[in-house]
Amino acid sequence: MSERSADGTFLLQGQGITKSFGPTKVLRGIDFAVASGEIHALLGGNGAGKSTLLKIVSGVTAKDGGTLLYKGRDIDGHEAREARTRGIAVVHQELAVLPHLTAAENIDLPYHRRGLSLFSQSAARGTALKALSLIDHAFAQRIAGVRVGELTLHEQQLVEIARALNSGAQLLLLDEPTANLTATETERLFDVLRRLTRENGISVVFVSHRMREIRQIANVCTIIRDGVTAMDRQPLDTITDADIVDKMGQTSAISAATDNAAERAADRPVSARRGRLEIKGLGIETVVEGGSILGLAGAPAGPQALIQTLIGASRAAPFVIVLDSQERAYRSPRQAARAKVGFVSGDRAAKGILVSLPIIDNMLASRRVAFSQVFVPRSEVAEASNLLAALRIKAASLWDLPATLSGGTQQKLLIARWLNLKPVMLVLEEPTRGVDIATKREIYALIRRMSAAGTTVVWWSTEQTELIDLCDTVLAFDPDGRPTGILRHRQITEESLAAATGMAA
Amino acid sequence: MRPASTSAEHSRDLALAARAHGVIGLLSSYRTEVAIALAIIVLEAAVGMLVPAALSWGNLANIAQAAASLVIMAFGVLLVVITGGIDLSVGSVFSLTGMVTGLAMESGQGAVTSTAAGLCVGLAFGAINGFLVTFVGLAPFVVTLITYAVADSLAFIVTGGHSLPISDTNYYLLNGGNILPFVPNFILYCLVLLVVIEFVLRRVVAGRWIYAVGSSSGAARLLGIPVHGVRFSVYVVSGMLASFASILSVSYISNAEGTAGSAMMLQAIAAVVIGGASLFGGTGSAVGALLGALMITVIQNGVNLIGINSFWQGSVTGIVILIAVLVDRVSKVRR
Repeated sequence: MSERSADGTFLLQGQGITKSFGPTKVLRGIDFAVASGEIHALLGGNGAGKSTLLKIVSGVTAKDGGTLLYKGRDIDGHEAREARTRGIAVVHQELAVLPHLTAAENIDLPYHRRGLSLFSQSAARGTALKALSLIDHAFAQRIAGVRVGELTLHEQQLVEIARALNSGAQLLLLDEPTANLTATETERLFDVLRRLTRENGISVVFVSHRMREIRQIANVCTIIRDGVTAMDRQPLDTITDADIVDKMGQTSAISAATDNAAERAADRPVSARRGRLEIKGLGIETVVEGGSILGLAGAPAGPQALIQTLIGASRAAPFVIVLDSQERAYRSPRQAARAKVGFVSGDRAAKGILVSLPIIDNMLASRRVAFSQVFVPRSEVAEASNLLAALRIKAASLWDLPATLSGGTQQKLLIARWLNLKPVMLVLEEPTRGVDIATKREIYALIRRMSAAGTTVVWWSTEQTELIDLCDTVLAFDPDGRPTGILRHRQITEESLAAATGMAA
Repeated sequence: MRPASTSAEHSRDLALAARAHGVIGLLSSYRTEVAIALAIIVLEAAVGMLVPAALSWGNLANIAQAAASLVIMAFGVLLVVITGGIDLSVGSVFSLTGMVTGLAMESGQGAVTSTAAGLCVGLAFGAINGFLVTFVGLAPFVVTLITYAVADSLAFIVTGGHSLPISDTNYYLLNGGNILPFVPNFILYCLVLLVVIEFVLRRVVAGRWIYAVGSSSGAARLLGIPVHGVRFSVYVVSGMLASFASILSVSYISNAEGTAGSAMMLQAIAAVVIGGASLFGGTGSAVGALLGALMITVIQNGVNLIGINSFWQGSVTGIVILIAVLVDRVSKVRR
């Protein structure tokens, strides 16, 4: 397969790239080539080495071995600043935003390379408006002058994408750029990418775990697995989803999709015991029985406001929560946790994982709060080991730091916090964001298991297939955060979700 | 995504647009600083009601003279604090610089050489701080606690604890002379530094980098901002400004003492905090640091003039810092 540019070479061509972090070999000989004007999907499970490869291409880290040619020249040992002069721009998976600076500065500042040159706020604003307007003009006007720390996660993601679009780069590396976006925004981004590749001949490397997106946007894919290239430059229309999953080494995962809501409704005990949840407010009244899964759909504004209320993180509550026939207005997440209301934040890095504490403390954090533990008993070690085994997490030691685990495994740790505590209600914010297919399936199984044990699950997701596959009831919100409707069982379809959330399916 | 901006958003746009232009715009982007300036005026007026002499030219000049060294030191600390670091060594670098300058003069060196020798102290300690923080990766608090202790003891060792009188009578002109008519040099230095630092922080790429590093050093690194260079530089500048502050002070009092800077480190940090900077990094302004230093000096001067036992100075300063931080916090929560 060769779609080479006019002079017979690829825009970017890497061969036998290796990289180790300490004793761990992350890349063990990657071949990766990108032709001009293509949108190239880079696929692989969590920990396969995608992010590391992108960091090497963008110059954030240096490779240990192999060759990497950009426009036929070796680009070893350079730094990110020089990558930009070479015309390579990156959207990092972990948001690289500067919260104290304005959106305009966040977009423009990285392109100033000389420290002693003048920085013009109005020029930065102009550049930013232009870049942000590619995605949405009104949005650009609204946020250009706002400090990024005051923006929501998904607005920050758009700022980061605008920064890459603004670069005039010939090669865009997008590491899960859609993870925090709504369907409409994703559509707009794809339109921009298609236009840029068609009209300006730029190339895009696109990382995503969402098969539909990949099919929508990419022409070619490369799959890496355990640090080696498992499939090199395969046109996407020549392979099936099953092939892709197989090459990623996650065959077992695909069967998850066959499960559907009707089957689940049947195998669940009908007599709900506790955890009956009522949500009233903003002209809507939702009731779900204990042990069911309530999905929240839509742009972040609505679901997040409701979640804040459910877990006592916000006092300005537009909703009234009734759990087990009692009105609940928790004053803090701590109070909620002690009443056995669990929460797993969508902001894994900042509000989920306790980065400086070992795995064991991360796993047992909620138990210690929920049971008001004063002492740390010996039995905890056995408890934590059992949890690790149950979750099939491979960790060298309970006393390792969570950073030694992949993102998907860290997500499992967070859910594990509540696994054995039999919570009345468990509130999840996008628990499968940035997680590979195999891990997603494990997370679905965990959630089902807890729901079967009687826990009422409230789950915000931006992936419609998840809502359709797993939820008994879905509460949909429009982009302004107003609830628009309640869907039950068979009513939950892509069409009905799209209509209720005002977002393209 | 919003289909069109609502009227509330529209008015926010207009407010932002207005902020960029005109005197009112300038004042609104310096609202913390304006509030501190007003507080200083109110404080000084209150002192003036109790002790009318407080408002005499002589006393106001005293305040300016006393504030000058602290202002310049605070500028250096400010840069470090914006990057999210801290510099505890400035006070003892101040002391050591005075001793080195004094020794150089005593040994017959000229004013220029002696001044240069003094500045080298700040350069050296700043470079050590910067190196250990940036390239060895030690915590700024620990690093500067070490250099603080070392510089402090060296300040006594170099003369065996004696103070050094400066015999060159013209050396006074460095501080109190007039390069410009009617403006004493120490005020000129403060104003020039104020303008330069504020300009760099707001309008020069390197200045925005300083905020970027303090805002999120990880993101700054990914964005290709030279985090190491920025970190190293702010410690060097901080050390040199502490030395410069010391040289002005030595020039003024014609005497170098090993304890000269002892109280100043905490005052400089306090000045920066009163001026609106966050010790977590990412915020702060030179105007704020100057006003913070001025406020601390006004309080000290007021406590002396009113005749309160000078042991109370620390408590009064502490309460003022608390008020400043609380006001800042409340105004941010409301926004």
